[in-house]
Amino acid sequence: MASIDLEKMLAKIKNSQWALADIDWEAPGAELITEEQWPKLKAFMSDLMWIEHVGARGFAALAKVAPDDTLREIYTYFHAEEQRHANAEMALMRRWGMLEGDEIPEPNINLRLVIEWLDKYSDDMPLETLGSVIPMLEIALDGALCKFLLDTVKDPVCHQAFEKINDDESRHLGVGFTVLEMQGHGELYKLAIKAAGTLMRPTLILGILSYLPLLNKMRDNIVEMGLPEESLYKVMKKFETIGGRTAEGRRNPWYQIISRHGRVMIDRTNYFYHVPVDAMVKASSYIPKRMLPPIPTWVKELTWNPVA
Amino acid sequence: MKVVSMSKVKSLTKKSGAASRVKKVNSSGVGTAVADALIIGAGFAGLGSAIRLRQQGVHNVVILERGTEVGGTWRDNTYPGAACDIPSNLYSYSFAQNPDWSRSFSGSGEILAYIHGLVEQFDLLPLIRFQQNVSAIAFDENDGVWHVQTTQGETHVARSVIMASGPLSNASFPNMPGIEKYQGHKIHSAKWDHSYDFTGKKVAVIGTGASAIQIIPELVKQAESVKVFQRTAGWVLPRPDFVTPDWNKSLFRKMPAAQTAMRNALYWGHEAMALGIIWNTPLTNVVEQVAKAHLHGQVRDPWLRRQLTPHFRIGCKRVLISNDYYPALQQPNCKLITWPIATLCEKGIRCAEGIEHQFDCIVFATGFDVCKSGTPFPVTGLNGRELGEEWKRGSQAYKSASVSGYPNLFFTFGPNSGPGHNSALVYMESQIDYAVKGIRTILDDNLKVLDVRPEAQQRFNRQIQKRLAKTNWNSGCKSWYLTEDGFNATMFPGFATQFASQMKAFLSVDYRIVTA
Repeated sequence: MASIDLEKMLAKIKNSQWALADIDWEAPGAELITEEQWPKLKAFMSDLMWIEHVGARGFAALAKVAPDDTLREIYTYFHAEEQRHANAEMALMRRWGMLEGDEIPEPNINLRLVIEWLDKYSDDMPLETLGSVIPMLEIALDGALCKFLLDTVKDPVCHQAFEKINDDESRHLGVGFTVLEMQGHGELYKLAIKAAGTLMRPTLILGILSYLPLLNKMRDNIVEMGLPEESLYKVMKKFETIGGRTAEGRRNPWYQIISRHGRVMIDRTNYFYHVPVDAMVKASSYIPKRMLPPIPTWVKELTWNPVA
Repeated sequence: MKVVSMSKVKSLTKKSGAASRVKKVNSSGVGTAVADALIIGAGFAGLGSAIRLRQQGVHNVVILERGTEVGGTWRDNTYPGAACDIPSNLYSYSFAQNPDWSRSFSGSGEILAYIHGLVEQFDLLPLIRFQQNVSAIAFDENDGVWHVQTTQGETHVARSVIMASGPLSNASFPNMPGIEKYQGHKIHSAKWDHSYDFTGKKVAVIGTGASAIQIIPELVKQAESVKVFQRTAGWVLPRPDFVTPDWNKSLFRKMPAAQTAMRNALYWGHEAMALGIIWNTPLTNVVEQVAKAHLHGQVRDPWLRRQLTPHFRIGCKRVLISNDYYPALQQPNCKLITWPIATLCEKGIRCAEGIEHQFDCIVFATGFDVCKSGTPFPVTGLNGRELGEEWKRGSQAYKSASVSGYPNLFFTFGPNSGPGHNSALVYMESQIDYAVKGIRTILDDNLKVLDVRPEAQQRFNRQIQKRLAKTNWNSGCKSWYLTEDGFNATMFPGFATQFASQMKAFLSVDYRIVTA
């Protein structure tokens, strides 16, 4: 078992805190963003920042269902740290002239649907479901998106910020995979029956229906921006390798479901999956915004300002 | 050690009239008189002990008080909005009821006035030595007396000692990262700075416990902005507070039996709450539902409601009572922050979400330094044993009052005497009466040593810990009731009636006795 000592990890997390004020957001380097790069980067940063923010809400839900105080406190920190990443990414956007005043990037309709679902139902999701999805999102974020950003952006302040963000993410991944393995303990048939029961929950089905189109849309967005598809294959492989490195990890039915889904999701030739999901993306674009409920107040906590 | 000058002794004698009965010695041990009972602390417990001792014919009593005024925690806690969360008719002594409480839940000023009233009514002032901060006590087995030293350099000698220094008497700024770097104004809730003007100031309140929820509504009225830093949301029940009508006061004055009936009704009402708060029963769900309905009724925003919803069973931590806390949090100049605090910095507080929140003043409503392990000053018993050392991993006693190896010493609010659902004064009365019985035994039988037997203490604690395991306090949450190791040395696992019954009988068979 490759799990980590969560008590030690919590102490490490507490000792590794940083603030936006640690970074000089006015330092030279913003001019290194080219005019050609700017519009694509704006769209990319907006997606990235929303993934961080949605991930933050996921950690908040995990804190509710954590089985003990240590894990609860770790998830409470991770919730805040993902928020910090979103705040830092907004600070970068502002530095690059992508945000005016107190403006925050506009979430697309698929994000709005996921935000709505998270707000209403995520707190009731079992630990093994969210606890297994989040490492997959984290690894995609860390291994593909952030790497792509640092390969294409020369601004040293961006590199400085992402050095700190990546340090945080490595701890999130460490805990994420440990929890994923923890959820593989017990008899396989019991785990499978429990997973099947959860999959039949209407609230989870609603979540899947909002999550799949978001993934497809984001995948296409970032590939269009120049992210090589190869890097997506690599991160999915990495998820399978790390998640499946122990018998417990492999026995977690959610690991099996998510890793298989990851393979399908990045394979554009799988029409059986992509045609209906793309149709859902298209259908969701017709949902009038006025039909959506107001944005939850947790979204309004976002800020690019290092000082309040 | 400072030697007491004769002129000082004379002046104290003149002032208090008690020095003739109390032996005050210099470092050579030369002295004249021994007190029958010495009480440490002139708060509720200390004064109550003195009253009951005198009522039982023990007059040779001295009270050592470190401050310049009586009142203990109610003297020290003068923050805006300070009040008791137990109805005043129950948060007072049964032998000194006050028909004139102005509200059902009185403020700290009125409670302090009640304490001053006790001093006056029972003529306690002559017994009290102010500005005598006890620094150590040691038992002399040969003479069967306690030597009590103070930081002022005096040593007092007494045949018995009542520890009434209070569980909530010491408070200090918490050991938070970066606290030394913060350059703005700092205030601790238990040592309020009345000279500080909050008008137009940006204020942080760290903590959301019993003190904080009383301070916040008052600060919101005055400060430009208030940010409340919450680590754990507590359960908040509505507070049935009202102004006492004049006819009610008049009735209680003319018919004390009516006030006693009211007190009894309140007592049994609180006793019933034990079923929901101390143990996990169907009533626990009912009490939680009442608290949730209170939250739902007062807070409209679902996210704020979520932030304010506790994740532990009610009773596991102290239950809070307030009508104005939730509304205050929703004022435009108030904001609840639930991000973990990363560090304090020069201008404010940095949280884990990466933002530096800057303030003119930080209010630390972070509670008290509760003595769950160790003692507030060295207590040396038989054969030089140190109580602080023995209690290092959690304190324990026999019936909360006596500790084996430390004869003739009685505790108020000793180990496992805390109530979670009823008035502390109800518990206090039982403890005081127990101590008085012990002291009467020492005096009547002319004992040198009255020491609880270790096996009796062990038997008692095995029972208590067994019972505690079934309570909500030991159900998994972290609270100030528990030591770092999760040992509950604070609370009594039962009804107040059970506690009173436990304290009623003074079983001398459980004590080792040495006559003088």
